[in-house]
Amino acid sequence: MVKQQRKEVIITGFGGQGIVLAGKILGMAAVLGDKRQSTLVQSYGPESRGGACCAQVIISDDTIQYPYITCPDILVCMSQSAFEKYQAQLKPEGVLLTDRDLVIMDEQKDHFSIPATRIAEDLGRKMMANIIMIGFTIAITGLISSSAVRESIKSSVPPGTDKLNLKAFSKGFDYGMAKLKGLRKKASGRSGVLI
Amino acid sequence: MDNIKIIVFLCNWGPHAAFQTMQENHDQIPPEVKMVRIPCIGRISKALLFKAFEMGADGVALVGCQSGGCRYGSGTVNGEINTADTREIIELLGLGKERMRLATFLPDQVEKLHNFLTSFSLDIKQMGPSPILPDAPFKAHSLSFEKISGILTKYNAYGCQDCGKCTSACPLALSGKTYSPRLLVNAIIGGELESEAVKQDIWSCLTCGLCYQICPSDVNFPAFIGDLRAEIFYADNSERHQAHGGFFQSLMRSMTTPALKPQTYQSIPEDVEIDQKSDTLFFGGCGPYFDVFFQNHYRVNSSSIIHDGLRLLNFFDIKPGIMEHERCCGHDLLWTGDHRNFLKLARLNVEAVKRRGIKELITACPECYRTIAYDYPKYGIDVDFKVTHLYEILENEIDKGAVAFKTLDQKITYQDACRLNSSPEIKDLPGKLLSRIKARDFAEENIHQQTSVCCGNCAWTGCDAFSKALQVKKLRQARGTGSRLLITSCPKCQVHLRCAMEDPLLGPELIMEITDLTNLIAKTIYWE
Ligand code: SF4
Ligand code: SF4
Repeated sequence: MVKQQRKEVIITGFGGQGIVLAGKILGMAAVLGDKRQSTLVQSYGPESRGGACCAQVIISDDTIQYPYITCPDILVCMSQSAFEKYQAQLKPEGVLLTDRDLVIMDEQKDHFSIPATRIAEDLGRKMMANIIMIGFTIAITGLISSSAVRESIKSSVPPGTDKLNLKAFSKGFDYGMAKLKGLRKKASGRSGVLI
Repeated sequence: MDNIKIIVFLCNWGPHAAFQTMQENHDQIPPEVKMVRIPCIGRISKALLFKAFEMGADGVALVGCQSGGCRYGSGTVNGEINTADTREIIELLGLGKERMRLATFLPDQVEKLHNFLTSFSLDIKQMGPSPILPDAPFKAHSLSFEKISGILTKYNAYGCQDCGKCTSACPLALSGKTYSPRLLVNAIIGGELESEAVKQDIWSCLTCGLCYQICPSDVNFPAFIGDLRAEIFYADNSERHQAHGGFFQSLMRSMTTPALKPQTYQSIPEDVEIDQKSDTLFFGGCGPYFDVFFQNHYRVNSSSIIHDGLRLLNFFDIKPGIMEHERCCGHDLLWTGDHRNFLKLARLNVEAVKRRGIKELITACPECYRTIAYDYPKYGIDVDFKVTHLYEILENEIDKGAVAFKTLDQKITYQDACRLNSSPEIKDLPGKLLSRIKARDFAEENIHQQTSVCCGNCAWTGCDAFSKALQVKKLRQARGTGSRLLITSCPKCQVHLRCAMEDPLLGPELIMEITDLTNLIAKTIYWE
């Protein structure tokens, strides 16, 4: 098997958004589905009562010696404060993903955004914004196989909610794929139908 | 040599004098030429010109007086317009435009007329016989009570409770016409089918289905009318109710000839990407024929809907194939009672689609959609591929996200299409798509499928002053919302409403911009 690159991922937001669960789903998917190694570090403290919250996930083919991340390859931000706190740590060639309605940027940084919370509200559960964010992240980065993530979601969410959560995953994933398609089209000079 | 038939419509005045001199001189007139003496070429409509081809002519010439010499003034000009349009249409149809010609002569241009007839005849012989097989003559038969009773039962018409709700919803009745579905059902149950008034009304119904939506007894009135028309088609001269001289019915009947190879989609704009190996097919519909037929009126541009439909598919990375020789879906033959020829078209279409190994057929036309998805199976044609309306794909793809719409600084309003409303899985899609478009305001009151006024005509039949009254009402209603942009989703709605806008007296107060939803989406959508 070809060795895949080691990836360090930080998912941040505020407490209650299911940030740690998102990290857990990614790590489990990598280990159980894709048969790789993974670690998860979650920050406890004032965060769990609504402040900035953070999950650090490393995915690698080799043994992971040290689970803390200083400069992530992928940074997922679901709140303004989290974005401000972590954005400077992202590697220069790293990928930044945000919830469009929750993170407003003063200066335009290269990034991918999705109105995850809004889509979750449309689906009827604001709680599922994290799952939508996972779908989006997987589509954009190809970090883990989507089948592995789907399995991992099924086994991590409360019983009876798996269908809805998988739908949320698909929403985020489809959005990400559409986004990439749009970028390809724009790169080829066609952003609209008639131009 | 094949038995070549050339019809020459010859004006009574100038050219006929020349023709007579030819006869007196014993000039050899090509034996293929069948001369029809007419009072003026200006009155030979496109429908009549085409009718000759439908009935098996291999060539048709319109021979009139030279411009300026027309006894009635505008005959030559009309002849020129009708010839140009008919030529374009038979070219699209794959007959070749050279089979139709116009020539004009002065009474003393005997030799010139002789030369024309000889050379035209030679040219047609070289082109060979036309592939169109004339429709087999049918025996007029009298109506059987059992059959009519069977139709009444099939659509639950005996269950009518006489409540009159249908009439209260019927756009025709609301336009002021003395017409009532309730009375019509009762008259037919009462055995009055042969009465002139009943026969007239059977051809007037718009088959829009608004009455069916409201009927407490589930009387499927439009389907009932449809089957009834098929029954009386052979007993009654249905052609007299057809609009545009029956041109479109002739056109569609001609397409039932298997050897005919229509060229409807030979010219697709260069920027549109198609893939003839794809197992997805785009079915365009008859828009290109409408565009030619109405080219001197109404600014009709149905082809643009087809092109923008394809462009939108390309936008979402779908590259479908198109049929080399697409035929009409048969909707209008079905709804004007010609079931026999409808079935011929349906079979030819389904065979052609199957031969290509198509898994999914996409169309942007509400009539093609409904006919292929619902009416083919209903009348026993096995459709084993998926039939999708373009709106289903658009809604699905747009819902994925990452696309946005340019803001439209205009208030918009919408004209419902009856054939979309009768297809449950797509009837809500125009509303959904419209709500995504960023217009300044959307006059939604017109969208509700139960109360919307019809565009006034269906299947090119029964057009009269009340159709016009309906269209006027519709446009007044649309303008009354304060909007000046009416969105449609059926090419025929546009033809009909644009026609009303040409009214010399009312026109100015009715005019508004009309655009199809597909065109509007294509114009405004972009990748974020
Ligand atoms: S609405 Fe139905 S039941 Fe009532 S009069 Fe009309 S057809 Fe008869
Ligand atoms: S189908 Fe439409 S036009 Fe015909 S009777 Fe019913 S409401 Fe009237």
